[in-house]
Amino acid sequence: MLQVGYIIDVNINHSCYRICVLAFLTNHTLYKMKKIFFALGILLLISSCAVVKEYEKINLNDPDMTLSDRKSDRNITTFHAYREAAAGANGGKTGGGCGCN
Amino acid sequence: MKNIATFIMALLPFIGYAQQSDNTSEYKKRVLETTEIDFLSSYYSQDGENAAVSGGIGTENLTDATGAIIVSIPLNDDDILTIDAGVSAYTSASSSNINPFDGKGVANAFVASSGASRKDVWSNFTASYSHSSDNRNQIWSGKFSVSSEYDYFSLGGGASFTRLFNEKNTELSLNASVFLDTWSTIYPVELRKPGSGNSNEEDDDHESFNIADYTITGNPDYHPLFTPFNSTSRNSYTLGLGVSQILSKKLQIALLADFIVQDGLLSTPFQRVYFADVEDSFIENFHLADDVERLPDSRFKVALGSRLHFYINEVFVLRTYYRYYYDDWGILSHTGSLEIPVKITPHLTLYPSYRYYNQTAADYFAPYNQHFSTEKYYTSDYDLSKYHSNQYGIGVSYTDVFTTTHIGRVAIKTIDLKYNRYERNSSFSSGMFLLGVKFIVD
Repeated sequence: MLQVGYIIDVNINHSCYRICVLAFLTNHTLYKMKKIFFALGILLLISSCAVVKEYEKINLNDPDMTLSDRKSDRNITTFHAYREAAAGANGGKTGGGCGCN
Repeated sequence: MKNIATFIMALLPFIGYAQQSDNTSEYKKRVLETTEIDFLSSYYSQDGENAAVSGGIGTENLTDATGAIIVSIPLNDDDILTIDAGVSAYTSASSSNINPFDGKGVANAFVASSGASRKDVWSNFTASYSHSSDNRNQIWSGKFSVSSEYDYFSLGGGASFTRLFNEKNTELSLNASVFLDTWSTIYPVELRKPGSGNSNEEDDDHESFNIADYTITGNPDYHPLFTPFNSTSRNSYTLGLGVSQILSKKLQIALLADFIVQDGLLSTPFQRVYFADVEDSFIENFHLADDVERLPDSRFKVALGSRLHFYINEVFVLRTYYRYYYDDWGILSHTGSLEIPVKITPHLTLYPSYRYYNQTAADYFAPYNQHFSTEKYYTSDYDLSKYHSNQYGIGVSYTDVFTTTHIGRVAIKTIDLKYNRYERNSSFSSGMFLLGVKFIVD
Protein backbone atom coordinates (compact mmCIF):
# COMPACT_ATOMS: atom_id res chain seq x y z
CA MET A 1 0.00 0.00 0.00
CA LEU A 2 1.29 3.41 -0.99
CA GLN A 3 0.49 6.34 1.27
CA VAL A 4 1.18 9.90 0.21
CA GLY A 5 0.59 13.06 2.26
CA TYR A 6 0.47 16.65 1.04
CA ILE A 7 0.79 19.94 2.84
CA ILE A 8 -0.32 22.82 0.66
CA ASP A 9 -0.01 26.52 1.56
CA VAL A 10 -2.68 28.59 -0.14
CA ASN A 11 -2.87 32.37 -0.09
CA ILE A 12 -6.29 33.73 -0.88
CA ASN A 13 -7.30 37.37 -0.52
CA HIS A 14 -3.96 38.15 1.10
CA SER A 15 -4.55 35.77 3.97
CA CYS A 16 -2.54 32.66 4.42
CA TYR A 17 -4.35 29.46 5.25
CA ARG A 18 -2.63 26.19 5.83
CA ILE A 19 -4.43 23.21 4.52
CA CYS A 20 -3.35 19.77 5.45
CA VAL A 21 -4.68 17.25 3.04
CA LEU A 22 -3.89 13.62 3.40
CA ALA A 23 -4.60 11.47 0.43
CA PHE A 24 -4.22 7.78 0.98
CA LEU A 25 -3.65 6.25 -2.39
CA THR A 26 -3.99 2.54 -2.55
CA ASN A 27 -3.30 1.52 -6.11
CA HIS A 28 -1.82 2.59 -9.39
CA THR A 29 -4.97 4.35 -10.60
CA LEU A 30 -5.32 6.43 -7.49
CA TYR A 31 -1.61 7.14 -7.54
CA LYS A 32 -2.10 8.92 -10.84
CA MET A 33 -4.83 11.05 -9.28
CA LYS A 34 -2.34 12.72 -6.97
CA LYS A 35 -1.01 14.61 -9.98
CA ILE A 36 -4.29 16.35 -10.64
CA PHE A 37 -4.80 17.19 -6.99
CA PHE A 38 -1.31 18.63 -6.89
CA ALA A 39 -2.19 20.66 -9.97
CA LEU A 40 -5.28 21.96 -8.18
CA GLY A 41 -3.06 23.10 -5.34
CA ILE A 42 -0.78 24.90 -7.76
CA LEU A 43 -3.81 26.52 -9.36
CA LEU A 44 -4.97 27.83 -6.02
CA LEU A 45 -1.53 29.22 -5.39
CA ILE A 46 -1.74 31.05 -8.69
CA SER A 47 -5.05 32.51 -7.60
CA SER A 48 -3.32 34.60 -4.97
CA CYS A 49 -1.27 36.51 -7.49
CA ALA A 50 -3.77 37.23 -10.28
CA VAL A 51 -6.88 39.07 -9.19
CA VAL A 52 -8.78 40.55 -12.10
CA LYS A 53 -11.43 43.08 -11.02
CA GLU A 54 -14.98 42.87 -12.31
CA TYR A 55 -14.55 45.95 -14.50
CA GLU A 56 -11.48 44.34 -16.08
CA LYS A 57 -13.32 41.23 -17.22
CA ILE A 58 -14.78 42.54 -20.46
CA ASN A 59 -12.71 40.11 -22.55
CA LEU A 60 -13.23 37.22 -20.15
CA ASN A 61 -16.99 37.78 -20.33
CA ASP A 62 -17.01 37.16 -24.08
CA PRO A 63 -19.36 34.17 -24.67
CA ASP A 64 -16.57 32.33 -26.50
CA MET A 65 -14.43 32.48 -23.36
CA THR A 66 -16.92 30.42 -21.37
CA LEU A 67 -15.11 27.43 -19.87
CA SER A 68 -17.55 24.85 -21.21
CA ASP A 69 -18.90 23.57 -24.49
CA ARG A 70 -21.59 25.62 -26.15
CA LYS A 71 -25.09 24.29 -25.61
CA SER A 72 -25.49 23.65 -29.34
CA ASP A 73 -22.55 21.21 -29.18
CA ARG A 74 -24.33 18.94 -26.72
CA ASN A 75 -25.28 16.27 -29.22
CA ILE A 76 -21.75 15.93 -30.55
CA THR A 77 -20.50 15.44 -26.99
CA THR A 78 -23.13 12.77 -26.46
CA PHE A 79 -22.08 11.05 -29.68
CA HIS A 80 -18.50 10.94 -28.41
CA ALA A 81 -19.66 9.38 -25.13
CA TYR A 82 -21.48 6.64 -27.08
CA ARG A 83 -18.91 5.86 -29.76
CA GLU A 84 -15.74 6.23 -27.71
CA ALA A 85 -14.67 4.39 -24.59
CA ALA A 86 -13.61 7.56 -22.80
CA ALA A 87 -16.19 9.81 -21.18
CA GLY A 88 -16.32 12.52 -18.56
CA ALA A 89 -14.38 15.63 -17.60
CA ASN A 90 -16.07 17.59 -20.36
CA GLY A 91 -19.44 18.47 -18.89
CA GLY A 92 -21.05 15.79 -21.02
CA LYS A 93 -22.67 12.45 -20.40
CA THR A 94 -21.11 10.14 -17.83
CA GLY A 95 -23.93 7.63 -17.49
CA GLY A 96 -27.49 6.79 -18.41
CA GLY A 97 -28.56 5.24 -21.69
CA CYS A 98 -26.87 2.35 -23.44
CA GLY A 99 -25.64 4.04 -26.62
CA CYS A 100 -25.53 0.58 -28.06
CA ASN A 101 -26.80 1.07 -31.61
CA MET B 1 -13.71 5.91 -4.13
CA LYS B 2 -13.54 6.08 -0.36
CA ASN B 3 -10.21 7.87 -0.53
CA ILE B 4 -11.56 10.31 -3.07
CA ALA B 5 -14.51 11.07 -0.84
CA THR B 6 -12.11 11.63 2.07
CA PHE B 7 -10.14 14.09 0.00
CA ILE B 8 -13.26 15.98 -1.07
CA MET B 9 -14.44 16.19 2.52
CA ALA B 10 -11.05 17.55 3.52
CA LEU B 11 -11.49 20.26 0.89
CA LEU B 12 -14.95 21.38 2.02
CA PRO B 13 -13.87 23.29 5.16
CA PHE B 14 -11.45 25.21 2.99
CA ILE B 15 -14.30 26.26 0.72
CA GLY B 16 -16.23 27.44 3.74
CA TYR B 17 -13.22 29.35 5.06
CA ALA B 18 -12.88 31.21 1.78
CA GLN B 19 -16.54 32.06 1.98
CA GLN B 20 -16.01 34.09 5.16
CA SER B 21 -13.38 36.24 3.54
CA ASP B 22 -15.45 37.36 0.54
CA ASN B 23 -18.74 38.49 1.95
CA THR B 24 -19.18 41.94 0.48
CA SER B 25 -22.69 43.20 -0.09
CA GLU B 26 -23.32 44.38 -3.62
CA TYR B 27 -26.08 45.10 -6.08
CA LYS B 28 -28.16 41.98 -6.55
CA LYS B 29 -28.63 41.31 -10.23
CA ARG B 30 -31.10 38.68 -11.33
CA VAL B 31 -29.32 35.43 -12.15
CA LEU B 32 -31.42 35.13 -15.30
CA GLU B 33 -33.25 38.20 -16.57
CA THR B 34 -35.87 36.54 -18.75
CA THR B 35 -37.05 33.12 -19.80
CA GLU B 36 -34.76 31.52 -22.38
CA ILE B 37 -35.73 28.83 -24.84
CA ASP B 38 -33.22 26.73 -26.74
CA PHE B 39 -34.11 24.50 -29.67
CA LEU B 40 -31.39 21.99 -30.42
CA SER B 41 -31.48 19.60 -33.33
CA SER B 42 -29.01 17.40 -35.08
CA TYR B 43 -28.78 14.92 -37.89
CA TYR B 44 -26.16 12.23 -37.55
CA SER B 45 -25.07 9.49 -39.90
CA GLN B 46 -22.31 6.90 -39.63
CA ASP B 47 -20.99 3.96 -41.56
CA GLY B 48 -18.37 1.30 -41.07
CA GLU B 49 -17.70 -2.41 -41.46
CA ASN B 50 -17.18 -3.60 -37.90
CA ALA B 51 -20.65 -3.92 -36.42
CA ALA B 52 -20.68 -5.20 -32.86
CA VAL B 53 -24.09 -6.82 -33.35
CA SER B 54 -22.57 -9.21 -35.88
CA GLY B 55 -19.41 -9.88 -33.88
CA GLY B 56 -17.04 -7.32 -35.37
CA ILE B 57 -17.98 -7.57 -39.05
CA GLY B 58 -20.90 -6.08 -40.91
CA THR B 59 -22.51 -2.79 -41.66
CA GLU B 60 -22.52 -0.04 -39.04
CA ASN B 61 -24.78 2.20 -41.07
CA LEU B 62 -26.87 4.36 -38.74
CA THR B 63 -28.80 7.60 -38.97
CA ASP B 64 -30.17 9.60 -36.08
CA ALA B 65 -32.32 12.73 -35.96
CA THR B 66 -32.56 14.48 -32.62
CA GLY B 67 -34.65 17.39 -31.43
CA ALA B 68 -34.71 18.96 -27.98
CA ILE B 69 -36.21 21.97 -26.30
CA ILE B 70 -34.66 23.52 -23.22
CA VAL B 71 -36.61 26.13 -21.30
CA SER B 72 -34.90 28.08 -18.52
CA ILE B 73 -37.32 30.00 -16.32
CA PRO B 74 -36.24 32.54 -13.67
CA LEU B 75 -38.49 31.87 -10.69
CA ASN B 76 -37.18 34.91 -8.80
CA ASP B 77 -33.92 36.83 -8.51
CA ASP B 78 -32.01 33.78 -7.32
CA ASP B 79 -33.66 30.64 -8.64
CA ILE B 80 -33.87 29.05 -12.08
CA LEU B 81 -35.95 26.10 -13.18
CA THR B 82 -34.83 24.36 -16.36
CA ILE B 83 -36.88 21.87 -18.30
CA ASP B 84 -35.14 19.83 -20.98
CA ALA B 85 -37.13 17.48 -23.21
CA GLY B 86 -35.79 15.66 -26.21
CA VAL B 87 -36.52 12.93 -28.72
CA SER B 88 -34.09 11.00 -30.86
CA ALA B 89 -35.21 8.76 -33.71
CA TYR B 90 -32.69 6.42 -35.27
CA THR B 91 -32.40 3.70 -37.82
CA SER B 92 -29.56 1.22 -37.42
CA ALA B 93 -28.49 -1.41 -39.93
CA SER B 94 -26.44 -3.26 -37.35
CA SER B 95 -29.29 -3.37 -34.84
CA SER B 96 -31.55 -4.64 -37.59
CA ASN B 97 -29.33 -7.71 -37.74
CA ILE B 98 -30.35 -8.79 -34.27
CA ASN B 99 -32.73 -10.70 -36.52
CA PRO B 100 -31.15 -10.86 -39.98
CA PHE B 101 -33.62 -13.47 -41.27
CA ASP B 102 -36.42 -11.28 -42.60
CA GLY B 103 -37.07 -13.48 -45.62
CA LYS B 104 -36.57 -10.55 -48.00
CA GLY B 105 -33.15 -11.56 -49.19
CA VAL B 106 -30.13 -13.63 -48.33
CA ALA B 107 -29.12 -12.84 -44.73
CA ASN B 108 -25.73 -11.14 -44.56
CA ALA B 109 -23.97 -9.07 -41.89
CA PHE B 110 -23.27 -6.39 -44.48
CA VAL B 111 -26.92 -6.02 -45.46
CA ALA B 112 -29.56 -4.39 -43.26
CA SER B 113 -32.57 -6.44 -42.29
CA SER B 114 -36.10 -5.15 -42.10
CA GLY B 115 -36.46 -6.53 -38.57
CA ALA B 116 -38.12 -4.54 -35.82
CA SER B 117 -34.80 -3.56 -34.28
CA ARG B 118 -33.83 -1.51 -37.32
CA LYS B 119 -35.28 1.60 -35.71
CA ASP B 120 -36.20 3.00 -32.33
CA VAL B 121 -37.02 6.23 -30.56
CA TRP B 122 -35.18 7.50 -27.50
CA SER B 123 -36.95 10.09 -25.39
CA ASN B 124 -35.63 12.07 -22.47
CA PHE B 125 -36.94 14.49 -19.86
CA THR B 126 -34.74 16.39 -17.42
CA ALA B 127 -35.74 18.94 -14.81
CA SER B 128 -33.14 20.93 -12.94
CA TYR B 129 -33.27 23.63 -10.34
CA SER B 130 -30.55 26.02 -9.25
CA HIS B 131 -30.28 28.53 -6.46
CA SER B 132 -27.68 31.29 -6.16
CA SER B 133 -26.74 33.05 -2.96
CA ASP B 134 -27.31 36.80 -2.59
CA ASN B 135 -23.69 37.62 -3.32
CA ARG B 136 -23.71 35.10 -6.21
CA ASN B 137 -20.72 33.34 -4.75
CA GLN B 138 -22.50 30.08 -4.05
CA ILE B 139 -24.70 28.07 -6.40
CA TRP B 140 -26.61 24.93 -5.46
CA SER B 141 -28.36 22.84 -8.06
CA GLY B 142 -30.17 19.55 -8.38
CA LYS B 143 -31.59 17.62 -11.28
CA PHE B 144 -33.75 14.66 -12.11
CA SER B 145 -33.91 12.85 -15.43
CA VAL B 146 -35.76 10.00 -17.06
CA SER B 147 -35.16 8.48 -20.47
CA SER B 148 -36.40 5.46 -22.31
CA GLU B 149 -36.15 3.48 -25.49
CA TYR B 150 -37.58 0.10 -26.42
CA ASP B 151 -35.07 -2.03 -24.56
CA TYR B 152 -33.66 0.47 -22.09
CA PHE B 153 -34.94 2.68 -19.28
CA SER B 154 -32.90 5.14 -17.24
CA LEU B 155 -33.57 7.19 -14.11
CA GLY B 156 -31.05 9.81 -13.08
CA GLY B 157 -30.47 12.31 -10.33
CA GLY B 158 -27.71 14.66 -9.33
CA ALA B 159 -26.65 17.61 -7.24
CA SER B 160 -23.86 20.13 -7.44
CA PHE B 161 -22.36 22.93 -5.39
CA THR B 162 -20.28 25.76 -6.82
CA ARG B 163 -18.29 28.25 -4.81
CA LEU B 164 -16.76 31.42 -6.25
CA PHE B 165 -14.23 33.44 -4.33
CA ASN B 166 -11.16 35.59 -4.76
CA GLU B 167 -13.39 38.31 -6.31
CA LYS B 168 -14.91 35.66 -8.57
CA ASN B 169 -11.50 34.84 -10.00
CA THR B 170 -11.60 31.32 -8.63
CA GLU B 171 -14.40 28.81 -8.84
CA LEU B 172 -14.63 25.44 -7.16
CA SER B 173 -17.39 22.99 -7.95
CA LEU B 174 -18.41 19.60 -6.69
CA ASN B 175 -21.05 17.45 -8.31
CA ALA B 176 -22.42 14.00 -7.92
CA SER B 177 -24.84 12.06 -10.09
CA VAL B 178 -26.46 8.66 -10.17
CA PHE B 179 -28.08 6.82 -13.08
CA LEU B 180 -30.16 3.73 -12.43
CA ASP B 181 -30.75 1.95 -15.70
CA THR B 182 -32.68 -1.17 -16.62
CA TRP B 183 -32.31 -3.36 -19.69
CA SER B 184 -35.04 -5.32 -21.37
CA THR B 185 -32.67 -7.94 -22.63
CA ILE B 186 -32.94 -8.67 -26.34
CA TYR B 187 -30.68 -11.42 -27.62
CA PRO B 188 -29.66 -12.35 -31.17
CA VAL B 189 -32.58 -14.19 -32.69
CA GLU B 190 -30.78 -17.52 -33.10
CA LEU B 191 -30.00 -17.60 -29.35
CA ARG B 192 -33.55 -17.04 -28.19
CA LYS B 193 -35.41 -19.98 -26.76
CA PRO B 194 -39.11 -19.20 -26.80
CA GLY B 195 -40.76 -20.43 -23.63
CA SER B 196 -37.45 -20.70 -21.77
CA GLY B 197 -39.03 -18.87 -18.86
CA ASN B 198 -36.70 -15.88 -18.58
CA SER B 199 -39.14 -13.13 -17.66
CA ASN B 200 -36.60 -10.42 -18.46
CA GLU B 201 -36.18 -11.62 -22.01
CA GLU B 202 -37.99 -9.57 -24.60
CA ASP B 203 -38.75 -10.21 -28.21
CA ASP B 204 -38.39 -7.34 -30.63
CA ASP B 205 -40.13 -9.14 -33.46
CA HIS B 206 -43.75 -10.02 -33.84
CA GLU B 207 -42.98 -12.89 -36.16
CA SER B 208 -41.68 -15.99 -34.43
CA PHE B 209 -38.34 -17.44 -35.44
CA ASN B 210 -37.75 -21.18 -35.45
CA ILE B 211 -34.22 -22.25 -36.27
CA ALA B 212 -35.54 -25.65 -37.34
CA ASP B 213 -37.14 -23.97 -40.35
CA TYR B 214 -33.70 -23.11 -41.75
CA THR B 215 -30.85 -25.06 -43.25
CA ILE B 216 -27.66 -24.68 -41.25
CA THR B 217 -24.46 -24.84 -43.24
CA GLY B 218 -20.87 -25.16 -42.07
CA ASN B 219 -21.25 -27.03 -38.80
CA PRO B 220 -24.89 -28.22 -38.87
CA ASP B 221 -24.67 -29.29 -35.20
CA TYR B 222 -25.29 -25.79 -33.84
CA HIS B 223 -25.25 -25.76 -30.01
CA PRO B 224 -24.09 -22.34 -28.72
CA LEU B 225 -22.69 -21.88 -25.19
CA PHE B 226 -25.16 -19.11 -24.54
CA THR B 227 -26.87 -18.56 -21.19
CA PRO B 228 -29.08 -15.50 -20.51
CA PHE B 229 -27.91 -12.75 -18.17
CA ASN B 230 -29.23 -12.84 -14.62
CA SER B 231 -29.02 -9.11 -13.95
CA THR B 232 -30.75 -6.49 -16.07
CA SER B 233 -29.73 -3.37 -14.16
CA ARG B 234 -26.87 -0.99 -14.85
CA ASN B 235 -25.96 1.70 -12.36
CA SER B 236 -23.57 4.61 -12.86
CA TYR B 237 -22.22 6.83 -10.09
CA THR B 238 -20.20 9.94 -10.86
CA LEU B 239 -18.29 12.24 -8.57
CA GLY B 240 -16.98 15.37 -10.25
CA LEU B 241 -14.61 18.09 -9.13
CA GLY B 242 -13.87 21.27 -11.02
CA VAL B 243 -11.63 24.26 -10.47
CA SER B 244 -11.49 27.27 -12.74
CA GLN B 245 -9.18 30.19 -12.42
CA ILE B 246 -8.76 33.54 -14.13
CA LEU B 247 -5.06 33.83 -14.92
CA SER B 248 -5.09 37.28 -16.53
CA LYS B 249 -7.49 39.70 -18.22
CA LYS B 250 -7.38 37.47 -21.32
CA LEU B 251 -6.62 34.00 -20.05
CA GLN B 252 -8.50 31.50 -17.94
CA ILE B 253 -8.22 27.82 -17.18
CA ALA B 254 -10.40 25.03 -15.83
CA LEU B 255 -9.38 21.67 -14.44
CA LEU B 256 -12.02 18.95 -14.33
CA ALA B 257 -12.00 15.52 -12.78
CA ASP B 258 -14.70 12.87 -13.00
CA PHE B 259 -14.60 9.57 -11.12
CA ILE B 260 -17.16 7.13 -12.44
CA VAL B 261 -18.17 3.75 -11.09
CA GLN B 262 -20.49 1.49 -13.05
CA ASP B 263 -21.93 -1.83 -12.01
CA GLY B 264 -24.51 -4.32 -13.23
CA LEU B 265 -25.06 -5.50 -16.77
CA LEU B 266 -22.32 -3.66 -18.67
CA SER B 267 -22.47 -6.04 -21.62
CA THR B 268 -24.83 -5.37 -24.51
CA PRO B 269 -27.06 -8.45 -24.75
CA PHE B 270 -27.47 -8.46 -28.53
CA GLN B 271 -23.82 -8.12 -29.52
CA ARG B 272 -22.57 -11.42 -30.93
CA VAL B 273 -19.21 -13.06 -30.31
CA TYR B 274 -17.60 -15.83 -32.39
CA PHE B 275 -15.01 -18.25 -31.04
CA ALA B 276 -12.00 -19.42 -33.02
CA ASP B 277 -12.16 -22.84 -31.31
CA VAL B 278 -15.80 -23.49 -32.22
CA GLU B 279 -16.83 -24.67 -35.65
CA ASP B 280 -18.71 -22.02 -37.61
CA SER B 281 -22.40 -22.42 -38.39
CA PHE B 282 -24.32 -20.34 -40.92
CA ILE B 283 -27.84 -19.71 -42.04
CA GLU B 284 -27.73 -18.33 -45.57
CA ASN B 285 -24.62 -16.08 -45.42
CA PHE B 286 -25.02 -15.10 -41.78
CA HIS B 287 -22.68 -16.50 -39.14
CA LEU B 288 -24.66 -17.80 -36.17
CA ALA B 289 -23.55 -16.52 -32.77
CA ASP B 290 -21.40 -18.64 -30.47
CA ASP B 291 -22.32 -16.37 -27.57
CA VAL B 292 -23.03 -12.73 -26.78
CA GLU B 293 -20.58 -10.19 -25.44
CA ARG B 294 -19.50 -10.89 -21.83
CA LEU B 295 -17.92 -8.05 -19.87
CA PRO B 296 -17.19 -7.61 -16.16
CA ASP B 297 -20.04 -6.36 -14.00
CA SER B 298 -18.11 -3.36 -12.71
CA ARG B 299 -15.98 -0.62 -14.21
CA PHE B 300 -14.08 2.26 -12.66
CA LYS B 301 -13.25 5.26 -14.85
CA VAL B 302 -11.11 8.30 -14.20
CA ALA B 303 -11.28 11.30 -16.52
CA LEU B 304 -9.08 14.33 -15.96
CA GLY B 305 -9.61 17.29 -18.25
CA SER B 306 -8.44 20.84 -18.68
CA ARG B 307 -9.59 23.80 -20.70
CA LEU B 308 -7.45 26.83 -21.46
CA HIS B 309 -9.11 29.75 -23.21
CA PHE B 310 -7.24 32.79 -24.47
CA TYR B 311 -8.80 35.98 -25.79
CA ILE B 312 -6.28 36.87 -28.50
CA ASN B 313 -7.98 40.05 -29.72
CA GLU B 314 -11.39 41.33 -30.83
CA VAL B 315 -11.39 38.90 -33.76
CA PHE B 316 -9.84 35.67 -32.46
CA VAL B 317 -10.33 33.53 -29.38
CA LEU B 318 -8.34 30.37 -28.71
CA ARG B 319 -10.18 27.50 -27.02
CA THR B 320 -8.15 24.41 -26.13
CA TYR B 321 -9.10 21.21 -24.34
CA TYR B 322 -7.21 18.15 -23.21
CA ARG B 323 -8.43 15.01 -21.42
CA TYR B 324 -6.64 12.04 -19.96
CA TYR B 325 -8.81 8.99 -19.40
CA TYR B 326 -8.13 5.68 -17.72
CA ASP B 327 -10.33 2.77 -16.71
CA ASP B 328 -9.84 -0.62 -15.12
CA TRP B 329 -10.82 -2.45 -18.31
CA GLY B 330 -7.41 -1.48 -19.66
CA ILE B 331 -8.41 1.51 -21.74
CA LEU B 332 -6.19 4.56 -21.71
CA SER B 333 -7.13 7.53 -23.83
CA HIS B 334 -6.02 11.03 -24.74
CA THR B 335 -8.30 13.68 -26.22
CA GLY B 336 -7.20 17.06 -27.50
CA SER B 337 -9.21 19.72 -29.25
CA LEU B 338 -8.69 23.17 -30.60
CA GLU B 339 -11.29 25.71 -31.64
CA ILE B 340 -10.60 29.23 -32.86
CA PRO B 341 -13.75 31.38 -32.99
CA VAL B 342 -13.33 34.13 -35.59
CA LYS B 343 -15.58 37.16 -35.21
CA ILE B 344 -16.25 38.23 -38.78
CA THR B 345 -18.75 40.93 -37.84
CA PRO B 346 -20.36 41.91 -34.53
CA HIS B 347 -23.14 39.46 -35.41
CA LEU B 348 -21.35 36.62 -37.16
CA THR B 349 -18.73 34.26 -35.77
CA LEU B 350 -17.05 31.34 -37.52
CA TYR B 351 -16.07 28.26 -35.52
CA PRO B 352 -13.37 26.13 -37.15
CA SER B 353 -12.35 23.25 -34.91
CA TYR B 354 -10.20 20.15 -34.78
CA ARG B 355 -10.27 17.25 -32.32
CA TYR B 356 -7.92 14.31 -31.94
CA TYR B 357 -8.77 11.21 -29.94
CA ASN B 358 -7.01 7.93 -29.29
CA GLN B 359 -7.56 4.94 -27.05
CA THR B 360 -5.98 1.61 -26.29
CA ALA B 361 -8.07 -1.55 -26.56
CA ALA B 362 -10.01 -3.01 -23.66
CA ASP B 363 -8.44 -6.14 -22.19
CA TYR B 364 -11.47 -8.11 -23.37
CA PHE B 365 -11.50 -7.04 -27.01
CA ALA B 366 -10.60 -9.22 -29.98
CA PRO B 367 -11.68 -8.92 -33.62
CA TYR B 368 -14.17 -11.17 -35.39
CA ASN B 369 -13.77 -14.88 -34.67
CA GLN B 370 -10.57 -14.48 -32.63
CA HIS B 371 -11.86 -15.06 -29.11
CA PHE B 372 -11.67 -18.46 -27.44
CA SER B 373 -14.48 -20.16 -25.61
CA THR B 374 -12.21 -20.63 -22.59
CA GLU B 375 -12.04 -16.88 -21.94
CA LYS B 376 -14.14 -15.42 -19.15
CA TYR B 377 -14.81 -12.04 -20.78
CA TYR B 378 -14.99 -11.21 -24.47
CA THR B 379 -16.28 -8.59 -26.87
CA SER B 380 -15.81 -7.71 -30.53
CA ASP B 381 -17.25 -4.21 -30.15
CA TYR B 382 -14.86 -1.93 -32.05
CA ASP B 383 -15.82 0.98 -29.79
CA LEU B 384 -13.61 -0.86 -27.29
CA SER B 385 -10.78 -1.52 -29.76
CA LYS B 386 -7.53 0.37 -30.19
CA TYR B 387 -7.94 3.25 -32.60
CA HIS B 388 -7.46 6.95 -33.11
CA SER B 389 -9.77 9.45 -34.72
CA ASN B 390 -9.72 12.91 -36.22
CA GLN B 391 -12.67 15.26 -36.19
CA TYR B 392 -12.95 18.41 -38.26
CA GLY B 393 -15.67 20.95 -37.66
CA ILE B 394 -16.89 24.21 -39.07
CA GLY B 395 -19.70 26.28 -37.65
CA VAL B 396 -21.24 29.67 -37.92
CA SER B 397 -23.12 31.59 -35.29
CA TYR B 398 -25.42 34.58 -35.67
CA THR B 399 -25.91 36.66 -32.55
CA ASP B 400 -28.44 39.44 -32.14
CA VAL B 401 -27.36 41.02 -28.88
CA PHE B 402 -30.25 43.49 -28.87
CA THR B 403 -32.80 40.84 -29.92
CA THR B 404 -34.34 42.97 -32.63
CA THR B 405 -36.08 40.08 -34.42
CA HIS B 406 -39.33 39.20 -32.66
CA ILE B 407 -41.91 36.50 -33.18
CA GLY B 408 -44.67 37.71 -30.89
CA ARG B 409 -43.16 37.95 -27.40
CA VAL B 410 -40.26 35.77 -28.38
CA ALA B 411 -37.04 37.21 -29.79
CA ILE B 412 -34.18 35.38 -31.50
CA LYS B 413 -30.91 35.78 -29.66
CA THR B 414 -28.54 33.35 -31.39
CA ILE B 415 -28.57 30.86 -34.24
CA ASP B 416 -25.80 28.24 -34.40
CA LEU B 417 -25.15 25.95 -37.35
CA LYS B 418 -22.32 23.46 -37.36
CA TYR B 419 -21.02 20.42 -39.21
CA ASN B 420 -18.54 17.88 -37.84
CA ARG B 421 -16.78 15.15 -39.77
CA TYR B 422 -15.37 12.28 -37.71
CA GLU B 423 -12.97 9.64 -39.09
CA ARG B 424 -11.28 6.72 -37.39
CA ASN B 425 -8.19 4.98 -38.69
CA SER B 426 -10.54 2.12 -39.62
CA SER B 427 -13.57 1.88 -41.85
CA PHE B 428 -15.67 3.93 -39.43
CA SER B 429 -16.65 7.50 -40.25
CA SER B 430 -19.54 9.77 -39.39
CA GLY B 431 -20.93 13.24 -39.90
CA MET B 432 -23.22 15.42 -37.84
CA PHE B 433 -25.15 18.59 -38.61
CA LEU B 434 -26.09 20.64 -35.57
CA LEU B 435 -28.60 23.47 -35.37
CA GLY B 436 -29.25 25.48 -32.25
CA VAL B 437 -31.55 28.47 -31.86
CA LYS B 438 -31.86 30.49 -28.69
CA PHE B 439 -34.91 32.62 -27.99
CA ILE B 440 -35.65 34.93 -25.13
CA VAL B 441 -39.13 35.77 -23.95
CA ASP B 442 -39.80 39.49 -23.36
